[in-house]
Amino acid sequence: MRTTASQKIITATALAAALCAAPGMAQAQATFRIGALNPITGAGSPYGPGMQKAILMAVEEVNAAGGAGGRKLEVFTEDTQTQPQAAVLAAKKLIEINKVQAILGTWSSGVTLAVMPLTDAAGLIEMNVSGAPAISFEDKKDLVWRFQATNDRFGLAFAEIAKKRKFTRPATMAFNNASGRGNTDGFTKAWTAAGGKVVASVVYEPNRPSYRSELQQVLAQKPDVIVTGSYLPDTTIFLREWFQSGEKTQWIIPGWAANPELVKALGPEITEGLISVDTVSSESAPSYKNFDAAYLKATGKSASSNVYAAMTYDMVICLALAMEAAGPNATVEKINSKIREVSNAPGKTVYSFAEGKALLGKKQKIDYDGASSKLDFDKYGDANPDFGVYVIEKGQLVRRDVVTVAPAPGG
Amino acid sequence: MGFLNLLINGLIEGLIIALPALALTLVMGINRFPNASAGDTMTFGAYAALGLQHAGVAFFSVAVTGALLAGAVLSWLCYRLVFEKLSRAPMVASLIAAIGIGFVIRSLIGLIAGHDMHTFALPLVRAWNLDGVRILPTDLAIAGVAALLLLLVFSWLKLSSSGRQLRAVADNPDLAKLSGIRSRRLMGVLWLLSGALCAAGGVLLGMKAVVMPELGWEMLLPAFAAMILGGIGQPVGAVVGAVLMGVAQELSIPLVGPSYKIAVAFVVMLLVLLVRPGGLFGRVEKVR
Repeated sequence: MRTTASQKIITATALAAALCAAPGMAQAQATFRIGALNPITGAGSPYGPGMQKAILMAVEEVNAAGGAGGRKLEVFTEDTQTQPQAAVLAAKKLIEINKVQAILGTWSSGVTLAVMPLTDAAGLIEMNVSGAPAISFEDKKDLVWRFQATNDRFGLAFAEIAKKRKFTRPATMAFNNASGRGNTDGFTKAWTAAGGKVVASVVYEPNRPSYRSELQQVLAQKPDVIVTGSYLPDTTIFLREWFQSGEKTQWIIPGWAANPELVKALGPEITEGLISVDTVSSESAPSYKNFDAAYLKATGKSASSNVYAAMTYDMVICLALAMEAAGPNATVEKINSKIREVSNAPGKTVYSFAEGKALLGKKQKIDYDGASSKLDFDKYGDANPDFGVYVIEKGQLVRRDVVTVAPAPGG
Repeated sequence: MGFLNLLINGLIEGLIIALPALALTLVMGINRFPNASAGDTMTFGAYAALGLQHAGVAFFSVAVTGALLAGAVLSWLCYRLVFEKLSRAPMVASLIAAIGIGFVIRSLIGLIAGHDMHTFALPLVRAWNLDGVRILPTDLAIAGVAALLLLLVFSWLKLSSSGRQLRAVADNPDLAKLSGIRSRRLMGVLWLLSGALCAAGGVLLGMKAVVMPELGWEMLLPAFAAMILGGIGQPVGAVVGAVLMGVAQELSIPLVGPSYKIAVAFVVMLLVLLVRPGGLFGRVEKVR
């Protein structure tokens, strides 16, 4: 059909007039507002920009499919600076000025624990990738959703890996905070439940100039592997001291401490053979394959370079499917109550928003399997991703295995 | 053997803390305020050495010397620009100013060098294993440098003319002035020295641990404690206090575990102060 310039002008004028005459229409077309609160700077800066990009990509996908529950999504981005104080200020701005209805993508546990009281008080949905077990129990209104494994489950994975690798005399070293002790407590619980014995365990203080005495205590029991709940700076110090001591043992260390930065600080000789454990995306799922292709196109990097990006992508898709299931103009509370329904079994497995929306339209039950994990939330709102087992070889982290930990009972 | 290893660890930690503790006690004895920016001067020293290494200074000893000079100049500037002006104000004014300067130094370091950790490019060495007693060559170097610096400072204080003058000012500033001691030049020397000691402590700490913007700030409290334990304004006391607390802390590990070792060091301090309220080497101030 051919249209002339004057016809276009007439159409536009008519549209404008209609909009002016009917202010009620704006109400019907209101958007659902999402706050993307990510660690763009600070310790989380290797991950934050990718997480934000993934949220924007998912929002585009949802909006391209016609929105969710009759509404389009709108995103407001803020930086946590990986610091609780800065994150609280940013969250207040998102809540009070941008009037967001959900805050997505807080990274470190300290930040999530600081932001949760604000979102809880405002009755908003909070979605994070933090590990501290406390987040599960502080979430009194069931508004908080965790897409990363808890420290407890990291501990379970450590036990599984230690068993697979036939270690018999494990020892533990934990940084004295909820996250560090969560890792080693989880390990000890699982290891002793399977009849094993932990030969030594040390909880050490942060910011010490040396951990030689702590190390000496642990090494005196001749462990064949030391499992840690540690961070990058302390891991750097005690691994250097361990190497200098000349003692032989193996190490299992969480991925946020045993990463390329650690290799850079210590060199390939000390780090050779260290076992690093981190969550991995659901790499065989079609949802991951689609996301990976889109992420590669958008950032030039593979999605496996940033495990948190797939998690934040899934946050938006889950939220949008829940909105679709809750129907037009649903309240935040109503939407929140639908999150488990669209992500957990039972239901027909779907791998994208469009697929899920179509089935929901036919009043069918769905089970979204995400790019980051199967996304089966337990009673605490925690997902259960798989773990990748990496071994550092000649300064490179090489993936050797993937471990699945059974979900906690009561899910 | 475990005991000896713990003792060595305690000695090394104590010697590192002794350097800023000595700087603190000198300033406390003469300018009469706790210099809370000492910790961040340590951090500055560590980053200065790091910067020199990155700039291509091949010898670590040259980088360390440069760091000591940088720390000395920074400390001298702080005195000339801030503390000298506050010398007649109440002690709290100088203390608050020192805390503020510390914040500024720390924030600037974070802004310029980032908050990620750094490490010195040093060769990796294994410990010498003497019948189960492990001695690290790096630790020997650290202990050697710390001991040498302490020796230099003490001989300067006891043997040189300016050292004697400094002690005179510490004892009675007005009388010293009347006797013709030019205290302004002397103060300059004191602050240069204090800065160099802090910077040295920072570099040695950075060699053992990792360099981060909070490096020195975290060490301020132990250094203060060592100063108080030794007797405020007592140079020998600060060093003995630091080593004593370091050793007590490490030796307590088999008894109370690493989580409570820091508390033990402070319990030792409390016990000493109960018996000797002026500290190990201090006198209880008499009311004149």
